[in-house]
Amino acid sequence: MTLFFIVTLNGLTLAALYFLAATGFSLIFGLMRTVNMAHGALLLLGGYVGFSVVEATGSWGLGVIAGGLAAALAGALVQFGILGWMQGDELRQTLASIAISIIMADLMLWHWGGITYQVTLPELLSGGQRLPLLGVGYASIRLALMAFALVIGVALWFLIQKTRFGAVIRAGVDDQAMLRALGFPIKRIFISVFALGGMLAGMAGVVAASALSIAPGTDLQFLLSSLVVVIVGGMGSVGGAALGALLVGLAEQYGLAYAPTYGAVFTFAIMVLVLAVRPQGLLGRAEK
Amino acid sequence: MHSEPLLQIAGLNLRYGSSHVLHDISLTLGARPLTILGRNGMGKTSLCNAIIGLAPHFSGSIRLAGTELTGLTPEHRARLGIGYVPQGRRIFRSLSVEEHLTIVAQKGGDWTIERVYETFPRLKERRRNLGDRLSGGEQQMLAISRALLLNPRLLVLDEPTEGLAPAIVSDVVALVREVSQQGMAVLMVEQNLHAALAAVEDAAILVGGEIVEHMSAQALATDPAMQKRHLALELA
Amino acid sequence: MKNAPLLAVLLALPLFLNDFWLTQVATRALILGITALSLSFLATYLGVVSFAQAMMAGIAGYTIAYFGPNTVAIGWELPFWLSIPLALVLATLAGALTGLVARRSRGIYAIMITLAIGVAFFYLTRQNYSLFNGWTGFSGVRAPQVFGLNLRAPVPLYLMTLAVAVAALVLVAGFVRSPLGLTIQALRDAPGRVRALGIPALGPIVAAFAFSGFIAGAGGILNVWYNERISSFSVGLGPIIDILIICVIGGLRHPAGAFIGAIAFVLLETFAVDLIDRDRFNTLIGLVLLAIVMLAPNGLQGMAAALVARLRPRAATPKTSI
Repeated sequence: MTLFFIVTLNGLTLAALYFLAATGFSLIFGLMRTVNMAHGALLLLGGYVGFSVVEATGSWGLGVIAGGLAAALAGALVQFGILGWMQGDELRQTLASIAISIIMADLMLWHWGGITYQVTLPELLSGGQRLPLLGVGYASIRLALMAFALVIGVALWFLIQKTRFGAVIRAGVDDQAMLRALGFPIKRIFISVFALGGMLAGMAGVVAASALSIAPGTDLQFLLSSLVVVIVGGMGSVGGAALGALLVGLAEQYGLAYAPTYGAVFTFAIMVLVLAVRPQGLLGRAEK
Repeated sequence: MHSEPLLQIAGLNLRYGSSHVLHDISLTLGARPLTILGRNGMGKTSLCNAIIGLAPHFSGSIRLAGTELTGLTPEHRARLGIGYVPQGRRIFRSLSVEEHLTIVAQKGGDWTIERVYETFPRLKERRRNLGDRLSGGEQQMLAISRALLLNPRLLVLDEPTEGLAPAIVSDVVALVREVSQQGMAVLMVEQNLHAALAAVEDAAILVGGEIVEHMSAQALATDPAMQKRHLALELA
Repeated sequence: MKNAPLLAVLLALPLFLNDFWLTQVATRALILGITALSLSFLATYLGVVSFAQAMMAGIAGYTIAYFGPNTVAIGWELPFWLSIPLALVLATLAGALTGLVARRSRGIYAIMITLAIGVAFFYLTRQNYSLFNGWTGFSGVRAPQVFGLNLRAPVPLYLMTLAVAVAALVLVAGFVRSPLGLTIQALRDAPGRVRALGIPALGPIVAAFAFSGFIAGAGGILNVWYNERISSFSVGLGPIIDILIICVIGGLRHPAGAFIGAIAFVLLETFAVDLIDRDRFNTLIGLVLLAIVMLAPNGLQGMAAALVARLRPRAATPKTSI
């Protein structure tokens, strides 16, 4: 039974990370129809920058912020400098973002090398907690990560559902041409949303480097998980990303624990199942 | 005195692939509100799109108060003072009524959210409802309000009475008259002849992408032969 | 046969090229070209960019490794005349399955789903030891001796690869002209109308993916013989992207682009070492991809076609144009 609890908690940890990574990816896709294949690279960049800043300053919070900002800046630059010029040509954007992810991954390998990094945790988050009721001990950082994902999720929901900026984003998702005809500077909105998505990915990178570890290949892992999460949960919605992340994270950990050599098949099976039953994703809206 | 008309279209041509949708359109619009009439497929919506900037590939010139619009993005044109009420209303389905209004509302200007709510009490009642929960009439009121809140110099309406109940059609007509009397230029594309002639003062008829007649609304209203020739539905 | 002179040159290549050029450049480009052809076929005629082709090729390669001679003592050896058809059948099935999963998806959705399939397969090969031998994979996978001819030797390997490449191109051309091929192109151009005519879309889409799996499988078999090994790295993001890059360089609008792209890719890979630090090859290839996407979306083949089109009217245009 203890194993089951631990596996469930591991699944939730992973789900929290997947949610943080996928929600930015989903947001960008929902508004701009851009499949940002460089999303994993943005996450890894955030992780590396966060690691370096934590090493230099000793402040974990500063590391998370720096990682988020670095990836936000990189995301904004990618949209402003490259993807924005091919808006509407989705295939070209996808290919261009693949090129960017290859270049970014290679340059990061150059600068940070092929080694695995783990961010030094602040005292408060190192060590473990004995969980009441379940009777198992669990790493504090992982519990904090779940709380962090929850807070980010709620904040994001508030931003999108309750603010003027969020209303503009939703309007852009619904009918981009109409939004432009009302005078909204779509290019600037796109860049802001790309920065927001990048920031979420970058923070996820620092948190991933704290709760787990990061290395070359982490970018691919989170790109894949983001893809599957939004395919399963539905594109462009925070709730969809949360549900998708929960399913994929849990399935992966149960798979790893109970059928270790076929873990990847579980993720795949969930995706196929959802596509067969609900092609637009569990919480997705059908395409017009 | 500066007497350039607000909207000046000269030699406008629009092609989609091999089909010639608009053919050498020239017209000017000043203080007198104008309707463009025509049957389906005559190029009415294409003309709107050319003015709004949603159909970028055309030759010819469209000027707003002397500023050439060719090559400008839709958002730029909107900020120059064009308010657009599109065909099919194109309400944002995941925004509430209030959100529709707050994202476009500006400080200063004749039209404010309060005035919209006074004009359309129904919208105030339904201000928490999402766009896709509104009736056709409510959506049309919202689409017009959304454009008015930009406090535009020119209001472009594309078939604003389409699919509406007669009582609501007369509300729309009354509103169009009101805003044009208060000095806003109005270009109203319509199929509904009677509504259009009641709302505006001048009429142009679009047939096959060409303007074939341009006259006062009153003259057209009293010329059943012309109405029949260009506008009557051909029943098989 | 307007391609006869080209074919004659290709057949005569072993007379001119040393083993390095023949094996490292010509044979390798042809093998990559065959696998890339499976993608450019889908992209050109079904309008779907699939990232699952490395998976299909990999399944054929793993089948050959599992049922052939290898040095990791996994699997059981079958004669090549059984293992080759088996590999092709499994690759075709993998293609069909991919088509079944992605049947309703177009454009970017198809990209996302096929990429997820491809990467999931990569993780499977890494985790699984009973069938795929995990990280290490299979080594010592040798091409068979057929009628006393050693297919591992440079010239036979080259000629066999050339034969497969020509066969694949002929098959694609035939498939495209068949009723099934025409249905697929109609689905690409007007999916709604085809369905409205009552033509079921599922069969043709699955068939197109299955066919592309067959072609990819042929490339996969040659690739495992060429490298004499296969592992998760053979089906990872690297090869997935390489196939895509080859197609994009060559142009996604014509199947022959795959081979043009493959030659450019192999030359770049072989000689980039002289230009830049070997470790930064990925940056170079990323920049090349980015440049092509930004400047010449139709790839080298498209650039050549545009150039020809620009030159031709001056040379000889019959006065029939309007």
